Amino acid sequence: MVKKKVGQVAMDEKDEIQMLFERRNGLNELAKILTADNAALYEKLVKDMGETQAKFQGWWDRMAAKYQWESQEGGNWEINFDTCDIYLVLP
Amino acid sequence: MAKNITFIVTKDCQLACKYCYLVGKNSKERMPWEVAKQAIDYILDHESDMREASVVWDFIGGEPFLEIDLIDQICDYLKTEMFRRNHHWFNSYRFSFSTNGINYHTDKVQRFIAKNHEHLSIGITIDGTERKHDLNRIYKGDGRGSYADVARNIPLWLEQFPHAGTKVTISSEDIPYIKESVLHLYSLGIHEVNINCVFENVWKPGDDRLFEEQLTQLADAIIDGGYYRDYACSFFSEHLGKPLDCVTQNQNWCGAGKMLAVDAEGNFYPCTRFAQYSLREKKAWIIGNIRDGIDKNKLRPFLLLDRCTQSPRKCIDCEVAEGCAWCQGENYDAADTPTIYQRATAICLMHKARVRANNYYWNKLFRKLELEDAREPYEENKPKPNPLNC
Amino acid sequence: MIQYLVILLDDTSVSFCHYGNAKKERRLMPLETLEAGILFGMKENLNIQFVYPAYALPEAYNKAVERVAHVKIKPAAMPDNADVVVMDGWEECESWTAGAGVSCVLRLPKAEWFGHAGRAAALLEKAERLNVVLTDVETFTEDDFKAYEASLQELAGSLAAAYASGKTPQLNLLTDRMMLDKMNNCGAGDTNITLAPDGKFYVCPAFYQAEGGYAIGSLAGGLDIKNAQLYRLDHAPLCRHCDAYQCRRCVWLNRKTTCEANTPGHEQCVVAHLERNASRQLLLEVRKQGTFLPDKEEIREINYLDPFEIRKEW
Repeated sequence: MVKKKVGQVAMDEKDEIQMLFERRNGLNELAKILTADNAALYEKLVKDMGETQAKFQGWWDRMAAKYQWESQEGGNWEINFDTCDIYLVLP
Repeated sequence: MAKNITFIVTKDCQLACKYCYLVGKNSKERMPWEVAKQAIDYILDHESDMREASVVWDFIGGEPFLEIDLIDQICDYLKTEMFRRNHHWFNSYRFSFSTNGINYHTDKVQRFIAKNHEHLSIGITIDGTERKHDLNRIYKGDGRGSYADVARNIPLWLEQFPHAGTKVTISSEDIPYIKESVLHLYSLGIHEVNINCVFENVWKPGDDRLFEEQLTQLADAIIDGGYYRDYACSFFSEHLGKPLDCVTQNQNWCGAGKMLAVDAEGNFYPCTRFAQYSLREKKAWIIGNIRDGIDKNKLRPFLLLDRCTQSPRKCIDCEVAEGCAWCQGENYDAADTPTIYQRATAICLMHKARVRANNYYWNKLFRKLELEDAREPYEENKPKPNPLNC
Repeated sequence: MIQYLVILLDDTSVSFCHYGNAKKERRLMPLETLEAGILFGMKENLNIQFVYPAYALPEAYNKAVERVAHVKIKPAAMPDNADVVVMDGWEECESWTAGAGVSCVLRLPKAEWFGHAGRAAALLEKAERLNVVLTDVETFTEDDFKAYEASLQELAGSLAAAYASGKTPQLNLLTDRMMLDKMNNCGAGDTNITLAPDGKFYVCPAFYQAEGGYAIGSLAGGLDIKNAQLYRLDHAPLCRHCDAYQCRRCVWLNRKTTCEANTPGHEQCVVAHLERNASRQLLLEVRKQGTFLPDKEEIREINYLDPFEIRKEW
């Protein structure tokens, strides 16, 4: 695996994606214990997972357009929450 | 800033560590589920009183993993309720554990870890080499050392949490083993060793000199062995040993009062150290309970604490005050009157010894880096320890 | 620095402050203790205040007391020669005939104060100074704060009218703050201590007569105030920045509500600030009618009632 720094985002932009990242993790782990028996909550979870994932992808799309980071086939970007740095990760 | 909320799920433990501050451990006081649920409901009902952006749900004992079924139930309820209520903590929470590691490999604990892995922070306490660890961390009853039962779980733990750190406690008898213990923990693959001297008045004449000698030897070993690049030991810090100003550097060290602890009876405390099982001399400092809520007046002294108001003159004038820690609970327990405003100073000579060794460490390391023209890369990549206050 | 010595002559000596006296059985201070206490006060250059019970003392005690300059604090039932007379409730107060130079302490619970504050204005006609002491400050609710504010406003109107007519009545709740430019609190454990019938010293009478107190030395062993700094203003993290100068800053209430002698509870702070703010209005009102206390600064307008809410957060 190769990691290369390709850019940086602003602190408030980092906060936004970190919150979405945390929320997505929370929803995923909640999904492990919630069953369809609890219909109302289950529906709320499914809806939230969809919305959060869309916001998550939307953030990367917006930032990629804004900062024009280097990309490569088969690679993906990663963010370091401590430094706000963006890395291109290649397998 | 995260709110730390501690569930004292049990006062039982397999071990009877000689330095343990929990003087009232017992196998009877286990938290019933109903108490845990009421505590959670109370806390989540009072979102406007707890505005911290994040929360750390902390589980402590005794040994918390003795109550893994209860913990699992609590965590499931927390996740569900934070989500159901649209509580802001659903976006930023952790489940945190300080464990002796003995039950770490069991099926129940492992199932729990798999279920909650992204939100877990688990610290296993291993004190160093076998002889150092077994000096204090012994089984209750037969008194045999627990090293082997803990060490066998370290590889699994590090596989699951590669960045995990351990917490080492130093008492008078441990001083001769500090260097070998820290190096041993590094050799096990633990990159972050959070280590501190107990705050209690256990120190004997000459301990400070021995301590300084051990830390100096440890400094040599870390620098000469190149460990400083990837490993951290909290004894050595760049922010240590300067005088402090009473106006601009007056913050309290300890987070008691900003934290919240609840025990099996449903009583709330400013920190676990104020529960009766932690106190030798004083009465528990209860700030409320799950039925009547929190008495905010009982929290005011904690939230008003500053460094200089609670410190004796010798600490205010101390030339090496920076980094000298205290535990509010120990201050309270050791005070001449029932107050949290009298700072205990049993650690004074040990801190000064640490400062001398710390100065040696950084002088030696920076000189080496300069001679090797390696200061800049070191600054960019140096390990960032996450120091624990207590 | 200790300047005053309060001597409780009996376990049932009258309470002149916030606490209620839990001791109901008479226990007269032994004469030799009294004499030793007076000697201690003289040698330490302390002003002595004797606190009397509601029964006549043996003659030998009266003689002992008169050997030193002092202040007598007495219950309304035995007011002869008192410098300060303590009244429990309106009835005792209203049937009392004031003597010249005598101060009156009126102790009562909030329920008896709310809606009746106007009666205090009538009392000020006959007492040179009235100290109102509410005995349940720690139980104040938000509604109580509003009721208290209204009572102070009502009284301020009466006092403004009295000042306009050339009188200068003193009511601790409203006039003390106008006269002060620094903290003037109870001073228990700092400027004054109490000697109890058991021969021991206490921070204040409440630490002997109410539950949960502790001694700070004895006549036999000497004064030994542990953590004495915590009774001083400079070690009170909230109060040292506060300008509700008339506040009692009652260390007994502090301990009762927050468990710390140096930290007031929310209720004590809000009550003191309601008094402060009403004093501010009174001062403005009186000054509209002419020059008044020209050497005193205006009391500034503030937007909080509990300084805890504006504390410096680290």
